Amino acid sequence: METTIAQNICLNLPLGFTEVEVNVSNDTNIEELIYILINDNKVPVYLEKECYKEIEKHLRDHVDNNYNLVTDKIIQDAKSNTIDVEEIIKEWEKMIREETAEFGEKVCASDEELFALAYHKLVHSPALETMLQLEHTYAQTIRHRVDERDRQIKSLSDIQTDEMTKAVDRLEDEDMNERKINEIAARHFEDHSFLRVQLTSELETLKEAQRREYREWIMQILEQNQAKGSLPTPKSSPLSPSLSTVMSFREPCGFDNDLQNLYLNEESFTIHLGSQLKQMHNIRVLTADVIDLCSINETCLEPTPQLLQTSLALYSNDLSGLVLLTDPVVGTWFTTGFSSICQRSTEFHFPHIEDQYEAINNVIKNHLKDGNSKLLQPGDFYITRHSNLPEVHVVFHMVTDDRLKSADINSRNAVILGLRSILKVACSYDITSLTIPLLLQYEMTEEMTVAWCTKRAELVFKCVKGFMIEMASWGGSDLKNLQFLLPRGLSHEVFQSLTAMLPSIFKVSNPLILKST
Amino acid sequence: MDIQKSLLHNPQFQFGAITFFAKQHKGDTCGSNGLPLTPNSITVYGRAQLLKIIENPYLCQYIDIIRGKHERTVVVSQYCGKPLTACLNTDNLNVDNIKKIAYQILKGLEELQKRNIVNRNLSTENVLLMEDNNIKVFNYGLYYMTGNGQYVAFPVMSVLYTAPEVYLSKPSSTYSHPKGDIWSLGIILAELVINKPLWNSLKLGQIIRKIMSLLTANGSVFERITREHNCYEKYSELPADLKDLINSCLTVYPSNRPSVQDLLKREIFNNIAPSPMKTKSKVCKPFQNFTIMEFYHWWQLAGGDVLLELKKQGLIRTSPPILSLPKAVLMDGNILGLERNFNLLYDPKVVLMPLDTLYRRFSHIPLSSYYPLIHINSDIIKKSEPPQYDASNLPLVIREKDPEYQFHRTILMRRLLHGYPFTRNLIIKESEKDIPPLLRGNIWAALLHVKGDYEKEYAKIDKTTPTPTDRQIEVDIPRCHQYNELLSSSVGHNKLKRILKAWVSKNSQYVYWQGLDSLTAPFLYLNFNDEAKAFACLSSFIPLYLHNFFLKDNAAVIQEYLAKFMQLISFHDPTLANHLHNINFIPELFAIPWFLTMFSHVFPLHKILHLWDKLILGDSSFPLHVGLSILTQLRETLLNSGFNECILLFSDLPEVDIEQCVTSSLKSYNITPRSITYRKHQNENEKNIENMDEMGITVQELNRERCPRIHFTDVVKLVNEEKAIIIDIRNPTQFSRYAVRGSLNIPFSSVTFGSPVLESIGPHGATLKNNTEKVVVVVGTEDTDLELFPKFLLECKVSRVCVLHGGFNVLLPVSPTILYTPNSPIL
Repeated sequence: METTIAQNICLNLPLGFTEVEVNVSNDTNIEELIYILINDNKVPVYLEKECYKEIEKHLRDHVDNNYNLVTDKIIQDAKSNTIDVEEIIKEWEKMIREETAEFGEKVCASDEELFALAYHKLVHSPALETMLQLEHTYAQTIRHRVDERDRQIKSLSDIQTDEMTKAVDRLEDEDMNERKINEIAARHFEDHSFLRVQLTSELETLKEAQRREYREWIMQILEQNQAKGSLPTPKSSPLSPSLSTVMSFREPCGFDNDLQNLYLNEESFTIHLGSQLKQMHNIRVLTADVIDLCSINETCLEPTPQLLQTSLALYSNDLSGLVLLTDPVVGTWFTTGFSSICQRSTEFHFPHIEDQYEAINNVIKNHLKDGNSKLLQPGDFYITRHSNLPEVHVVFHMVTDDRLKSADINSRNAVILGLRSILKVACSYDITSLTIPLLLQYEMTEEMTVAWCTKRAELVFKCVKGFMIEMASWGGSDLKNLQFLLPRGLSHEVFQSLTAMLPSIFKVSNPLILKST
Repeated sequence: MDIQKSLLHNPQFQFGAITFFAKQHKGDTCGSNGLPLTPNSITVYGRAQLLKIIENPYLCQYIDIIRGKHERTVVVSQYCGKPLTACLNTDNLNVDNIKKIAYQILKGLEELQKRNIVNRNLSTENVLLMEDNNIKVFNYGLYYMTGNGQYVAFPVMSVLYTAPEVYLSKPSSTYSHPKGDIWSLGIILAELVINKPLWNSLKLGQIIRKIMSLLTANGSVFERITREHNCYEKYSELPADLKDLINSCLTVYPSNRPSVQDLLKREIFNNIAPSPMKTKSKVCKPFQNFTIMEFYHWWQLAGGDVLLELKKQGLIRTSPPILSLPKAVLMDGNILGLERNFNLLYDPKVVLMPLDTLYRRFSHIPLSSYYPLIHINSDIIKKSEPPQYDASNLPLVIREKDPEYQFHRTILMRRLLHGYPFTRNLIIKESEKDIPPLLRGNIWAALLHVKGDYEKEYAKIDKTTPTPTDRQIEVDIPRCHQYNELLSSSVGHNKLKRILKAWVSKNSQYVYWQGLDSLTAPFLYLNFNDEAKAFACLSSFIPLYLHNFFLKDNAAVIQEYLAKFMQLISFHDPTLANHLHNINFIPELFAIPWFLTMFSHVFPLHKILHLWDKLILGDSSFPLHVGLSILTQLRETLLNSGFNECILLFSDLPEVDIEQCVTSSLKSYNITPRSITYRKHQNENEKNIENMDEMGITVQELNRERCPRIHFTDVVKLVNEEKAIIIDIRNPTQFSRYAVRGSLNIPFSSVTFGSPVLESIGPHGATLKNNTEKVVVVVGTEDTDLELFPKFLLECKVSRVCVLHGGFNVLLPVSPTILYTPNSPIL
């Protein structure tokens, strides 16, 4: 049933002047309609008022009658129990409960929200430095243990390889046969797994303890902060080396040569979108390894400034996101490099990466249960959240496939459309900085010729521009910074040709030149 | 002081805000035109505008709609008095009060029905009782603005007061009728009679079941309700007319339920209906010093922030976005792992806005400031008044944000507008200072001579019959200033379409040109609730500034315009003109959209408004000066660019400082003699210089002559004011006979036009070189070449060069004469 009811009214004008048929609906501006009538049908002007009354009355009567008819029938039906009133009541009840705060569930802020509030408050207070130092020392402990674990595992592997080589060499001898070799292999495997599980579990326990301790400490200093206005120093803990020893090593670490070499080529632009009202955005194109981009400079004894950025913005409305290309398996080997970086320090805010993968897997399994496909499709993506990576809070793991290697993909390609969904999520959840692999590839391969790269970059630039224009009307937050990532193997010449293309696609802002005069 | 206090502290001038979220569009659907769907919050925003013009003593006025981030909508509305729920369980209301309340609610409903608005939200909570025992209905537009509930996820209703047929037609239905509101009124009255909230202790489901059970009641629903609340005695004691009224409101079958009109005719209201106001002037509408709209505007300027207030009082709760991210998003549009966000639920709570800051800020303003047109002759009284608040030296953007300055400006302008058209000259005078943003729409209309019967004029135009231009209009509208919420809403699209169609149908001699949409946009934005006025403004704007620009063949008009533009550049900025000339970057390449849309296509709305504030006060040559000032701002870049760079630069106009642009165009407008910018094709009504087109300067001539011509009347004026350097290029014999006083004789034949250096014209070169302010008029005769010499001067970078139109002889008949006979011929 619609609110507008179009109908033909046969208008009998007074004085038997003429009879006209007009089409009227609820939205019709009756006054204007009458002027058209007067014009078209040569209705005398003095009938204007009568026409008005006539049409208005007709319209009102019609609306009234219609409503009476419809409602009388449903009431009759309800009285005679031909419709299920109980069903309708339940439907209303459900809707009212689900959508209004008055009758809906009363919800208090969750633990997560409380901690977020506390952390956000403290991180924007003088406590910041202490917090970062503490996080840093915790992280160092973990890194140390991770390296130690890897070393132990490696030394075990070395010993085992050694033993195995010797055993194989002695295969010709009597006391050695294939069965025994298999036994050794099985034992090795068992030892190896055992050691790995043991060390990893120790690590997990440590992380869990660190996490608990840290979160308690945060809540505690918030309380004290509110009570006294001063900040306590964190007590030294067996889970991390004492702070004082670390703090004494106050060496400026800044940007050393390693970090500078990280980004071989980079260029930044300020662009604007919109023809009348111009919206500014920053675009940066750089060649770098995606893993390097989110790993921490571990040689540094001080907390790195990038992590400071992460912490300050974690619970703000300016999040940073990264698009990570992956395959249809959640938490796949494809991104083990990424996972291990996440595991090199304790995640104080969100579940650990493996747990996040598992939760995502469950959700996806539940959803795909009914459908035909059991796997994620290209363009689908899942989202993980991080607090211990530099400059990244949210990672969009987007599923891709080999078809992306082909030179002729167009704007209807699933991965490109996936980018649009990512931008939409970014817009709805205040992710205002985003890093996108420009070529949708991480490694340079044979088939990626200069022409291939140019074509791909142009496609991604243009599509992203289109999505950003579209985004402006979604009523969310604007993307302030956009980073396009290029594979490290890209030559400087190609890099320059790709950045040279950018001003012809985006409108680069004219610099404001200040004159000294 | 008390009067003044009551002016500002009007108990009716209080407001509150509610907030809700619009429904998100599901998936990635596109509209039928292939463009992305408009967010629902924008649709709601557009629809809600209409509510702002409803003024009725029994309805709280809607004041503002604010669109927040992520589909949030905040509605600011008048909120004065206490909800009727506060009167329950007290002895405050007697039978007469209840009758009066019933009458006033019905009057409010009548007003809504006239506008095809169904309330759907009528409840005891939403009826506010003021101290004078009158009521105002609050929050009556929610159902309307949300498109009968279709743009929001929550049901628009008040559980207890909703009619049974509404429940029966399922939550998804958007079908509605004012008769549902009559039932709600019945329940409210029943509650007031029983004097306690109905079914207070019941849970949600039980209440709905109770209402449905009323369907099967035999006899009176009201009676049954009273029995259920153990107060049958109240029912039996009630006067028959009120009992009857409530009973008819609570009729189960809508067909038997009386309408608002039927009820208002009942005898019960005979004594309540206020007698019609006596001797109200038919000519003048009643005048208020300021309305709640202005009050709210000042409140905002004085630091009032609705969103902040909502946050402070807990109605806007947000959790950090990183906590609510989904886990996965699939290509088919499914979003997985998204937890319900309880902050998005609808909470009907009203947050009242504190007014103390504004009261304090305005406390020192004397009463006389509320009546700016009353002049005081007594010096004693005058002295006792504090000096006028003066902010006129501050930049425009700051003045627009200064509450006190805006207070004075708005009060004054409102007064003057009320006297329009008799006060038009005063309005012009005041507008030259600045135009208060709140009243801009009306002031522009006054400046553009909009006549009183514009509404009828507009109504008579056919805007519905399809025409061949419809297609182009349909294509242009979704691309016209869409960053603006009003213009991107569906209501805005529809209004823009109607105005454009009206213009096309009214002006059959013209055709629709792309750009007309941008030209209409500022008027529609300012008069969103008054389409007719927007149309009337457009209709008088176009003949003034764009006379004949929309002819099917407008080449002659445009070319003349652009040639004049180029001459104006030469006149004021020879260096730039020479550069543009040399790289052949002619105005055809960039300036057509500027002038065809009066810059409304190249600037965002807020800049257009400031630009047009001045434009509307100037004549049709003003746009040329605006164009010039834009070029002046980009001067350095242009001078350092070749043709290609210039094209690239103008393909997307860089940011322009609009205030600077306005000032510099005003400056050049004021120092340029009018005949310099005279055009053959300008509107006849504006041609006050006679004979200028007798010679009939053709476009070819215009394009060839690089310096503009000047009319002798302007020359005479300039000579008398000593603001001109007259260069007489006739031969010395002619010069010695008659010449203009103080003119310099540089015989045409004496100059060698080799290289553009001023020294080559002799001793007078230095005079020209040192000239910065005077207009250089080249005077010759018909026999002398009047192109080569000015061109030479231009190339020598002499500014303000123009040529006397018609030659020396036109000066002969001028009286009093400016000529003399030089004593001795100059050699």
